[in-house]
Amino acid sequence: MSGSGSPAIEVRHVWKVFGHGNPDDAIARAQVGATRAEVISHLQQTIGVRDVSFNVGRGETFVVMGLSGSGKSTLIRCISRLIEPTRGEVLLDGTDILQMDDEQLRAVRRGRMSMVFQHFGLFPHRKVLDNVAYGLEVQRVPRDARLARAREVLDVVGLTGWADSYPQQLSGGMQQRVGLARALAVDPEILLFDEPFSALDPLIRREMQDELLRLQKSLQRTIVFITHDFAEALRLGDRIAIMKDGEFDQVGTPEEIVANPATDYVREFTTDVPRAKVLRARALATPGGPAPRSVQADALLETVIPMLLDRDEPVGVVDADGRNLGVIDRRAVAGILAAERR
Amino acid sequence: MSAVAPLTAAPARPSALQRRLATAGAVLAALAAAQLLGAPGFPGSLNLGIAGPVNSAQEWIRDSRDGHWLFTWILDPFTWLVRTGLDSVEAFLTWLPWYVPIVAVFLLVAKSRRFGLAAACALAVAYPGVVGVWKESIETISLMSVAVAFSVAVGVPLGIWAAFRPRVETTLRPLLDAMQTVPATIYLIPTVLLFGIGQVPAAIATIIYALPPMVRLTVLGIRQVPPQAVEASRMFGATRRQTLSRVQIPLAMPSIVAGVNQTVMMALGIVVIATLVGAGGLGQAINQTVRQLSPGRGLVISLAVVAVAFVLDRVTQSLVTAPDRPRTRVPRRVLWSAVGAVVAATVAGKVLGHGAFPFSWGSSFAAPLDDAVAWVRDTLSFATRPFNDFVVRDVLLRTRSLMTEVLSWQAVVVAGAAFAWLVAGARVALFTAAATAFIGATGLWVDATDTFAQTVVAVLLSIAIAVPTGVWLGRRPRIESALSPLLDSLQTIPPLIYAIPFVMLFTVGPVPGVVAAVVYAIPPGIRLTSLGIRQVNTETVEAATTFGASQRQLLWGVRIPLAMPSIVLAVNQMVMMVLAMAIIAGMVGGGGLGYRSIEALTAAGGTGLGAEVGIAVVLMASVLDRLTQSAARRLQAPASV
Repeated sequence: MSGSGSPAIEVRHVWKVFGHGNPDDAIARAQVGATRAEVISHLQQTIGVRDVSFNVGRGETFVVMGLSGSGKSTLIRCISRLIEPTRGEVLLDGTDILQMDDEQLRAVRRGRMSMVFQHFGLFPHRKVLDNVAYGLEVQRVPRDARLARAREVLDVVGLTGWADSYPQQLSGGMQQRVGLARALAVDPEILLFDEPFSALDPLIRREMQDELLRLQKSLQRTIVFITHDFAEALRLGDRIAIMKDGEFDQVGTPEEIVANPATDYVREFTTDVPRAKVLRARALATPGGPAPRSVQADALLETVIPMLLDRDEPVGVVDADGRNLGVIDRRAVAGILAAERR
Repeated sequence: MSAVAPLTAAPARPSALQRRLATAGAVLAALAAAQLLGAPGFPGSLNLGIAGPVNSAQEWIRDSRDGHWLFTWILDPFTWLVRTGLDSVEAFLTWLPWYVPIVAVFLLVAKSRRFGLAAACALAVAYPGVVGVWKESIETISLMSVAVAFSVAVGVPLGIWAAFRPRVETTLRPLLDAMQTVPATIYLIPTVLLFGIGQVPAAIATIIYALPPMVRLTVLGIRQVPPQAVEASRMFGATRRQTLSRVQIPLAMPSIVAGVNQTVMMALGIVVIATLVGAGGLGQAINQTVRQLSPGRGLVISLAVVAVAFVLDRVTQSLVTAPDRPRTRVPRRVLWSAVGAVVAATVAGKVLGHGAFPFSWGSSFAAPLDDAVAWVRDTLSFATRPFNDFVVRDVLLRTRSLMTEVLSWQAVVVAGAAFAWLVAGARVALFTAAATAFIGATGLWVDATDTFAQTVVAVLLSIAIAVPTGVWLGRRPRIESALSPLLDSLQTIPPLIYAIPFVMLFTVGPVPGVVAAVVYAIPPGIRLTSLGIRQVNTETVEAATTFGASQRQLLWGVRIPLAMPSIVLAVNQMVMMVLAMAIIAGMVGGGGLGYRSIEALTAAGGTGLGAEVGIAVVLMASVLDRLTQSAARRLQAPASV
């Protein structure tokens, strides 16, 4: 759930302009409203990320969802400085990593921030165990200690017994478990995921999502997760940002986005979403009540529907302390479900 | 470029046909003008006289060899280093009991559990001893191992540097290209100047000659490392050096080893030629047999070179398995006992006083082979003699008289440029014109014409054989993989070795060179063509089949057009190989630039001539290379965005 206290990551007004020439021109044009296509045709420069700002709370899973070319992969690389942003600030606990020198940056990557890659980014010449231990190896952790830690993490991701295999002997899902283990081995505060499951089959993808949810429950890391799959974003994200043409169209919790899509573009994604599995009682409550039957405010719509089918009588919505927040009746539910098909 | 018609054509514009006719007319007019205004042969007044300054530079070097800092501080220590390396390797190999290298090679190759291959390698090591050139093989192997060691020591770091700095690579690339096209004999000239006659200059020329593939393949290897792996390494906080040593170099290793392998083969190729400056070894033995016209003994010793090539090839390849393939591990105990056995054998051998190879069947091999070759020559003469006469009298001599006596040199330049324009565009056309005129200005117009004519004949023959074979093989993978070892070994044999049997079959002259060049160039031509055919997208072929295309339509309408870039690349490779061979053919009486390069090496004051030959060859090679390369590029389907 969204974190409390100061955010773990603050991204402020980050821009990334690709191409030759002065990026200031491109930014200046974009700031007075030029679209991406206009900037490309006039300056032969591409705006990858356009004035993006957001915070990620401690322990929060922040998902950036966008289609290919939306700039999401560029954005996550700007956060880790694998790509140098053209402008802006990326603050980790208040320190701007864009101001860091090479050594400070390496220190951040070695201990505080790790990444899982779309195509796994494993080292084919190293055994699984040595892949997982790589982050510790470059920090010069003694061999025995780093291999022990690597085995421990392999157990966590369910790859016990595969330590001495080579990555390409494993299935795609298992390879990404290695990628995950490698990222976890250095015990980072922040985990960056760049479309980690998009190369996997649907069933394996779902399994990996469950695995991640399970791990996150116990590990409570700060996560930035990139995906092009809206359903994946809904499942994993505490908050979701919808990215298009280098900027965020909307940022919000899954239910906020599904219930109130900010733009037509966002609405296109939400139309196919089964609302019953996303919307919570709180979002549907209309003034009234209290009622004899009630549900918690964060109960999913799918638990309310059977109650309404059972008896045509409004169901009350209460908060954690049992206070009345309103009621849900058949009309409200029918309206929401009808909207789904429009 | 005129090929792209504008979408909305202005009404006044001439049609494509009209424009084409106009261009053809202009070219013909230019040709006629050049022919009428110009004169045949290249006028001496336009000779740039490159030889003069080069020869005076040589004088200066001769005079200041003792005393100038360049020698005392840089070249002499380098000479010392190379000489020490050579002497110690040679002394060590001579000191070893003869059976130790055989056993060691067997064990080394057997490490990859391929015992048949290991046994074959062991036999190949023994072969030079059996035929009585053990000592010469040791000399050759020492020269090569020192040269290869230096090439690797310089080439790998250079390649890594170039891989990370695109600017370094763009500077290096033309230099590397030139280094590979300059005939080996030309290399020897400056090295002789700077280092004198003997094994050291031979080794140094070999180092320079063998360097380009090492650099190139290292660059390639580093570039081919998946960017995701490098990115992941950076993301885990690895320093540049850590990423290089833990990720990039290990992943580039197969390519680097292929570079070492190529380097070894290049070095072996020059070994025969290096005898001209006193390298000794197998090359000298071969040259003697060429001079004695003893084909049997020549063949026997050439096979010793092939045996050495085979062993070095297999040993370097068995050193490393691909990094993404799980390697077959040998238990440490077995490994150590193998090392122990070799050491024990050495010690025991020395105690018993074993040394050089104890017996030889050399001459008993040679005599019957000589007879056999003579018999083959006489039996085949009904075919070889007319072929020889036809090629020499009707093709080569006529081309020469056409280009040097009938056509004016200006017309040749214009014709070359027009052809280049047709296949490769305006830039290459300009380059062709300039290069052709410059070749004339070196004063080697006639020799260059000879070499060019031989090259064209050999290239046409090679295309006629290799491309249809490649197309045929491309769809028969099983036959191709069966032929693959043969094609491989044909490629590892040093070029001069090819020429020898053909000298025996034809009379001394240009024809053996031409035939040898064809044989030399065919394997890569077949390879690349069949590769192109095989790489044609299966779905495209299936789609065409679905629409009812016949086999013939599939071949001419789909497979060949799609394989065209690869086929032209094959032609490019064959042109370059034929040209290299045409130069070497000068050694077996082919005449042309190759003959001049040997003259430059052996005659007094030939250094200037050598420089001129070098320039002419490099220019001719780059014209042919650019022509074929840009033709290939034009045929490539536009890249997807």
